[in-house]
Parts: sequence; structure tokens; C-alpha cells
Amino acid sequence: MMKRLQAAFRIFFTSAYYSYIALFRWFRPAQYMASKIVMPLAQILFFAFLGMYASGRDQASFYVIGNAVQLAAINGIYGVTMSVGGERWAGTLGYMFGAPANRMLVFVGRAFMHIIDGMLGVVLGLMWGVLLLGVDLSRTDVGALALTILITAASTSGMGLLLGCLSLITRNVMFINNTVYFLMLALCGANVPVSSLPGWVQRISYVLPLTRGIASARDIVDGASLRSVGPMLVGEVLVGAVYILLGYVLFRQFEIQAKKRGTLEVM
Amino acid sequence: MTSKRLRSYLRTIGQVFVLQFKQLAIDGFIIFTVLVQPLLIAILGLWMMREQQGNYAIFIVVGSGMTGLWSSLLYISGSNINVERWLGTLEMLVGTPTPLAVTVIGKTLSNVVMSLSSMILGYVLAALIFRFPLTLAHPLLFVVSLICSVAAFAAFGLVIAPFFAINLQLQSWNNALEFPMYILAGFMFPIALLPGWTTPISYALAPYWAARALHATSSGNVPLSEVFLSWGMMLLFSVIYLLLSGWLFRVMVHKARVDATLSLQ
Repeated sequence: MMKRLQAAFRIFFTSAYYSYIALFRWFRPAQYMASKIVMPLAQILFFAFLGMYASGRDQASFYVIGNAVQLAAINGIYGVTMSVGGERWAGTLGYMFGAPANRMLVFVGRAFMHIIDGMLGVVLGLMWGVLLLGVDLSRTDVGALALTILITAASTSGMGLLLGCLSLITRNVMFINNTVYFLMLALCGANVPVSSLPGWVQRISYVLPLTRGIASARDIVDGASLRSVGPMLVGEVLVGAVYILLGYVLFRQFEIQAKKRGTLEVM
Repeated sequence: MTSKRLRSYLRTIGQVFVLQFKQLAIDGFIIFTVLVQPLLIAILGLWMMREQQGNYAIFIVVGSGMTGLWSSLLYISGSNINVERWLGTLEMLVGTPTPLAVTVIGKTLSNVVMSLSSMILGYVLAALIFRFPLTLAHPLLFVVSLICSVAAFAAFGLVIAPFFAINLQLQSWNNALEFPMYILAGFMFPIALLPGWTTPISYALAPYWAARALHATSSGNVPLSEVFLSWGMMLLFSVIYLLLSGWLFRVMVHKARVDATLSLQ
């Protein structure tokens, strides 16, 4: 039993680490900076200034927190999707599905490093907000905020795992990824309060990851306790779990169908 | 340049324009960049500004269209040369008697004209779906501003294509360069909101003058002298960009031949 557990840990962490390294093998420090520091900063500033133009400078905090937490979707959507779909482009799907390793561990492992990287991105985003736009974190329960960021990054990665499976069956996954990312910017409350959206749009907002995470982060920065945002965080965990489950079912279906039809490597 | 050669170049530009347009029209990434992203930014902008008084809808529609114009310039025009390299056709293009720059002019014009569709779609969306009363304050001046903007953006595209071809690593900075231009050029909000030290940077960017002219002629809240100033600045920048791009093309082709890197991936 102990041996099997050790093997499971090894498979999970090794595949998580190598899939992340493989994805960024072409990266150099300057390029990493462009993607992880300059681009997120520019995105936060753009929406914060647009928001301030719309509703005044005193609303900067609303936009900074919303867009900083939204940054988890850069890793969650793009990174995780490419970690799953990249196997097809690298021609390694056959090896992955030929190995006896537990599929759930291999599948969820693809998201692990992106959750950590995504959290780092959110923290950097908040830091920019504090330094450049004067966001006040003095009343923030740091532990509660860290937990919120972790849960949000994980639930967003759940969406990424589902989209990653789509990348195994379609060539236009970047179109889907980009559209989902921008829809989340509009629907998850990063820039527009969810309560102000039409009822049918709100229903969509609440089946997406990020929505509850962004709302929790705003409440925590305003001084709310972990207990008071607990129900929202539980909801965020559940939404993420549903996406992971859906993604895993699709992943297994893809494997079964591809093996049956001999279409594993078909582009 | 003889008139025969000029006709030949114009024919090449026309042919490349049509071919490029057909290729772009079926590319999912391009459809997103030119249509979906500006549309989502327009919806977001309209929703965020709904409490504002005044004619803000036309400002948002024009501004979001300009985000599409810039993003397509950055992603598509920026890779106009590199995409030929990836397809293995750059050697042939450099080897033909028609200068590479002529081919790239056709491609860049096609990209810029296609990306104007984002502005049209944003207009239709705001007018028909959101039912905003959209009127152009100075329609004729707006059209002239649009023509000047196309020329300025196309000239800018002719600079970044050889620049990215010379510096392959820079292309991965595309994502990081998208939003800064939205901010500094004042596409969606006035640059007066930004810290004062950024203003000279905005003044040095042709897209800023394009945004200023298009916003002024569509919203009509500035004197005409400002519009003429913007046109003049766009013209000035177009000339500077063309001179710079001519030099960059010569450097790029020479360097690629000397280093034998035309097909370098």
C-alpha cells in the first residue's frame, strides 16, 4: 500500500513538473517577464483606468482586485490547456496513454504547477495595485486571501483541464481559449459587478470559476473574515471540482475512442 | 521608377491583398483578434460606462475598433515576414525581382482593412443590440481620419514586420505590447487620466493621433484645428515609419543573406 502511494506521488509530481518544464522549454527570462509581469500589469492598468474613467478614481480598488484575481486564468486557461493539448503536438499522446500510470493523477498533475504559478501571478497583480494605484490591504486577513487565491487558481485550472481536453479533439483551441478568457473578464465580476448584469447572464456567471473567488477576495480586502466568505469559497471549490470531473470524463472518453478508432495521433 | 514597374508593383500589392484577405478570413486566431476580442471589449466598455452621461457609446465603439486595429497590426502584420519563414517561402519571396517590401505592403494593407471590420461590427452591435443612438458628429472628416489612420497603421506595420524578423525573440513580446498601446494611445479613455510623464510617449505614437482624430470627428467635442493637427501628425509619422521601414528591410534582407538565416526558424 505504502509503495503504491509512493508511486502515485512520484507520478503526480514528476508529470506535473515535466509537463510544466516542457511547456516553457523555449522560454528565456526576458520572455517570462513579458508574459508574467508586463502583460498582466498592462491588463490590470487598462481595465483599472477604464473603470476609473467610468466610475471615478475611488473605485480603483474594485478593478485592481478583480483583474488581479482574474490573472489566475492566464495560467488556469492557457497554461493548463497547453499542458494537456501539447501532448498531441509533441507526438507524445501514444506514450502517455500507453503507460500504466493512473490517468486521474496524470490528468490533474497537468494543472499542479500552473496553480502555483497562477497564485504567484495574482500576488504580483495585487502588488502592482498596491504600488501603483494605492490599493489598501491594511484590513486584509492575509491567510484568508491566500486561501482564496489558491482555491480560485485551482478552480480556474479545472476549467483549463476541460478546455485542454477540447484541444485533443479540435485544432482551434486558441480561439476557444481566448474567447473563454475574455468572456470571463466580462462575466466573472472582474470589471462589472455581477449583481448589475441581467438575470440570465448572472446565472452563467455563477457556473463559471473565478466569480465567487473574485467576490471573496474583494470582501476579504474590505476586512471580511474567512468564516464570512466560507460559503462562497466552498462554492468555488465545487465549481472547480465539477469542471475537473467533466474534463476527466472527456479525457477518458478521448482515450477510449482514440484507441478504438486508431485516431490518437490524428491532427 | 518607371510607370511599367509601378503598375507591376501595384498589381503585386493587389494580388497579395486579395490572397492575404482570403487566408485571414478563415483563420480562427485572426477572427478572434479582429472581431471577437474588440466586440467583447466594446460590450465590457458599454456596460462599464452605462452610468455616464453624454454620448459615450460612439467613443467606446470607435475605441474598441481601434483595439482590434492595433492587436491585428501587432499579431498579424508583426509576423508578415516570419510567417513566410515558417512556411518556407521567404527564400522565394526574397529571390523574386519584386522587392519583399512590396509584398509586405499588400499583406499589411489587407490586415489593416480587415481589422476595420471590428469597428463596423462594434457599431452594428451598439446600434442594433444595445440600441444606442450612434451618430458621427463629422461623417466626412471621420472618413478622412479613417483613411489617414489606415495609412499610419499600415506604415507602422511596415516597421514592425522587418523588426520582428530581425529580432526573432521579440515576437514573443506580442502579448505584452498589446494593452500598453490601448492605454498610451487613449483608445478607450483619455490619456489625461494617466500620469503626466507618459504624455510625451503618447505623442510619439501614431496610433495616439489616429485615436485623437477618430474620437474627435465621431464625438465632435473638440475644435477642428485639433483634427487637422492629428492628420498632420499621422502624415508625419507615416513618412518617418516608411523611411525607417525602408532601411529595416534593407538591413534584414542583407543580414539574412550574409548570415544565411532566411530559413532560420
